[in-house]
Amino acid sequence: MRYLVDVDGERVEVRLDGDGVAVGGEHVRAHLADVEGTTVRLVTIGGVQHRVVVRRGDARGRYALWIDGWRFEVEALDERARAIQDLAAATAQSAGPLPVTAPMPGLIVRVAVAVGDRVRSGQGVVVMEAMKMENELRAPADGVVRAVRAEAGTAVEKGTVLVEFEPVGLDP
Amino acid sequence: MRPLRKVLIANRGEIALRIVRACRELGIASVAVYSDADAQAPHVREADEAVHIGPAPAAESYLRGDHLIAVAKQLGADAIHPGYGFLSEREWFARAVCDAGLVWVGPPAEAIAAMGSKTAARTLAISAGTPVVPGTTEPLRDAAEAAEVAARFGYPVLLKAAAGGGGKGMRIVRGAGEIAGALAAAKRESQNAFGDDAVYVEKYIEGPRHIEIQVLADAYGNCVALGERECSIQRRHQKMIEEAPSTAVTAELRARMGAAAVAAARAAGYVNAGTCEFLLDRTGEFYFLEMNTRIQVEHPVTELVMGLDLVQWQLRIASGEQLPFTESPVPRGWAIECRITSEDPANGFLPSTGRIAHLHVPSGPGVRWDGGIEAGSVVGLSYDPMLAKLIVFDRTREAAIRRMERALRELVIDGVETSREFHLRVMADPEFRRGEISIQWLEAKLPELLARKAPPEAVRAAAIAAALLADRDRRARNGGGPRGDGGGASGGGTAPRAPVPAESSWARAARFDGLRSP
Repeated sequence: MRYLVDVDGERVEVRLDGDGVAVGGEHVRAHLADVEGTTVRLVTIGGVQHRVVVRRGDARGRYALWIDGWRFEVEALDERARAIQDLAAATAQSAGPLPVTAPMPGLIVRVAVAVGDRVRSGQGVVVMEAMKMENELRAPADGVVRAVRAEAGTAVEKGTVLVEFEPVGLDP
Repeated sequence: MRPLRKVLIANRGEIALRIVRACRELGIASVAVYSDADAQAPHVREADEAVHIGPAPAAESYLRGDHLIAVAKQLGADAIHPGYGFLSEREWFARAVCDAGLVWVGPPAEAIAAMGSKTAARTLAISAGTPVVPGTTEPLRDAAEAAEVAARFGYPVLLKAAAGGGGKGMRIVRGAGEIAGALAAAKRESQNAFGDDAVYVEKYIEGPRHIEIQVLADAYGNCVALGERECSIQRRHQKMIEEAPSTAVTAELRARMGAAAVAAARAAGYVNAGTCEFLLDRTGEFYFLEMNTRIQVEHPVTELVMGLDLVQWQLRIASGEQLPFTESPVPRGWAIECRITSEDPANGFLPSTGRIAHLHVPSGPGVRWDGGIEAGSVVGLSYDPMLAKLIVFDRTREAAIRRMERALRELVIDGVETSREFHLRVMADPEFRRGEISIQWLEAKLPELLARKAPPEAVRAAAIAAALLADRDRRARNGGGPRGDGGGASGGGTAPRAPVPAESSWARAARFDGLRSP
């Protein structure tokens, strides 16, 4: 079985066979085991043990992994699923407004944009308060504000759409 | 002497648990209080008694001073320990506790008041001969006066708009030649931004460190400095990492800073544990900022290098015990503390919430965990995001850093995002390792620290782990075995570590092929 794994901006091909994996033409023994009574997995690669904490992501093959003191967001798909996924991603590129959503429940402190504003990727658009700290939420891409659904002073749930954008290329 | 028998702890989380432990070691009964959100919290269970005090919002539970006093009276407690935060530095609460005939485990209300506002504390420090950041209290009249004051303070100086904020109307002036132009610019900017052109001048502190001195004072006039803590690793004025001692403090400087802190504490009539905060500049000059009239979050690093239990001493001083020493002890070894918070460093330190699914706490030589969570704890948004403090101790700073790296690697918190990886990046940073830090260091360094790429071996291990997980999940979906992890290359046996092939590699290969060509 061949898996294509997107990790840390790279695509790594991992081929699974009887007792191990082949990565970059090199074959090593590899094994995944649970640690009973915990959510920890033990991955043994070429005899070396790595403790891994796994959180499942929002889609098939997506995981957040804590391994060797690093945190990775990975997507591991078999060849066929990878091909379908890449095709879908290419189609979605042209798609409509990208929302800024509330990453946690909290209170809207300030909305820094209005409908029609042009924003740059990374520009602060909404300030939310949670755990006594103010947090700035940023635009995901260059674009034009299509809708503002957040109102200062209101409480919102995690995942609430706050601002919608139309991604467009802006003049430099 | 009036030995305490029962102490009500007006706090929650790790510090409440810390106080429960000190009480038990001293043979004092403890009473925990808890809001709706904390009914299952470890501090509640570990205390001898526990009382529900209201709903989750602190204003309706942990901040209801009168109610807490009533509960203490009702249960026959003879003292209240406020911990840090919440009501710990409220003068009125300290007074109300004493007026109710209870012992306040902290400084006298008058000392809290004296150190309560920065301006009052500054005036008090000046009267005690403790150096403060030199500055004018009246707006500057003209460039001539500015030049005269700046010469007195010594360059560089900082021009600051009286109405200022956000850096507007602020100018660093490095020599006499620049001051007239800088003053005109600062006045103009200030006038435009705030409609007020009043400008002050103060000494500009270059590359300052946040160094604080722990003091301990008893009710018999003994007041002792317990060395410094280096707290320069801060983000948005929140301390993240603290250590003791500091690489910037020599024995001679420690003695001078200690004397200055003791003088300020004495001037305030201080009793119990307290901390004087200073800025320390590159030349070794230090300036008093304020005094924290409570136990500090970072007190364990002092405990480890001084071999003292500060929380026990708070209780012993409150019960009328006398300090057995009057000389400052000499710090031994090195201690570092990392604050483990439920904040996501990869996502702008946004608070993360959830249920702790699994917790593995590091241990072994020289490792201390002061935590308020356990597996099953729910991390919400009602309180501070600090989950625990991980503290290490070793002979040297270098060894302590290696020990901290080891302990952070052992730590597993599954269920919420935490600052663990952030701390690992700091521990590995060459500047941090050399001790080249200031209070601006972290803010400037943060983007680089967070963008740091994992080494190729870690990326490769993550890729392999992900492929094995995805394969196991795929077979689980396809009903490929018990819990979908029947063994083999990607299988997880039920017994840890031991590879348990549940089928022959021939059968597996055949099955893989079958799945690949539908």
